[in-house]
Amino acid sequence: MPQQVLKVVRPTKIELIKLRRRLSLASRIQKIVKDRVSILILEFLQIAKQTVEIKSQLLAEFLGTYKALSIAAGYHGYIALEKELIATERDLEIAAGLRNVGGVRIPAFELKEAQGVVRGYSLVDTSSWLDQTAQLSGKCLETIVELAELQRGLELLGREISRTKRILNALEYLIIPSLQATIKYLYMKFEERDREEKSRLKRVKVLLEQK
Amino acid sequence: MVSELPYERMLQECLKGEFRVVNAHLPGKQKTLSDLLDEEYPHVLCRDGSTHLFKRKELKYLASLLSADEQKALLLPMLLGVGAGQGEVAVICLGEVEEKVIAKILDMSITPRQRKIVLYRPQLALVRKLLRTSTQYLFSPKSEV
Repeated sequence: MPQQVLKVVRPTKIELIKLRRRLSLASRIQKIVKDRVSILILEFLQIAKQTVEIKSQLLAEFLGTYKALSIAAGYHGYIALEKELIATERDLEIAAGLRNVGGVRIPAFELKEAQGVVRGYSLVDTSSWLDQTAQLSGKCLETIVELAELQRGLELLGREISRTKRILNALEYLIIPSLQATIKYLYMKFEERDREEKSRLKRVKVLLEQK
Repeated sequence: MVSELPYERMLQECLKGEFRVVNAHLPGKQKTLSDLLDEEYPHVLCRDGSTHLFKRKELKYLASLLSADEQKALLLPMLLGVGAGQGEVAVICLGEVEEKVIAKILDMSITPRQRKIVLYRPQLALVRKLLRTSTQYLFSPKSEV
């Protein structure tokens, strides 16, 4: 593909210096952006892998929890179980913040561990199945929070990768080649001017000799 | 003049923005592991004014690897220097503690070069998997980190 030469009004040395400076800056930025993209892709793949792991873990945990819950419901009966569980509701505390991965702000969540957990139901009237259900659902909650963080991270990283790739492609296939082509064009112009100058001098010399 | 072209001027602005974005998240001041463990919400303030939150689970993991004195010496977040056009990343270590942490995570002996531990991509993935919030990238325009 022929590279487009930038519209240079005056083919001067000053312009050439400016272009060369711009080319070196563009190459430096290209290297940084390339590194950034590779780091972002590395993080993206890692988060994707972790998301799959956490999702399957969550499904397994849900399976265990529902199993324990149905056994508890069978043991106590739905009405009694509901009566016990009414008192177990409590507010959850999640510490939310940000972490930055190569310029992308990804949310970080952490479920605050409740100290001295009082489940709210009577331990005397209930069986160990209910305890197990509560324990398993607590674990599910932790995994859900972790999965939420990972999925949001995946989304944000994906968006940033496509944006940065566009910049990288613009640099790699448009800006740098056009700068290089323009520099080449200027060199050719200078050489042509030199040749013209030389032939002019020769012509002058011949004219002077004829006189 | 070349710089007068609107399209190119826009690209120049865009590129300047890239430079600004990549290192804006660096911490203004690093904190020691022991200090962070004492905080209710372990965090550091970044240069761009945002807050970087640490996961307590990670901090506890790091604490399990180190002695009490070493916990006071380990500065977090650890900086992972990415050099321009390099296929490797360097952990910038100010003391022997970082070296010990990385050696334990990678399960291999490590020799730092000029106070830097060179990590290759698979090793980096392993370190980042375990220390997601305790490490941060530092992008350098130089080819050497």
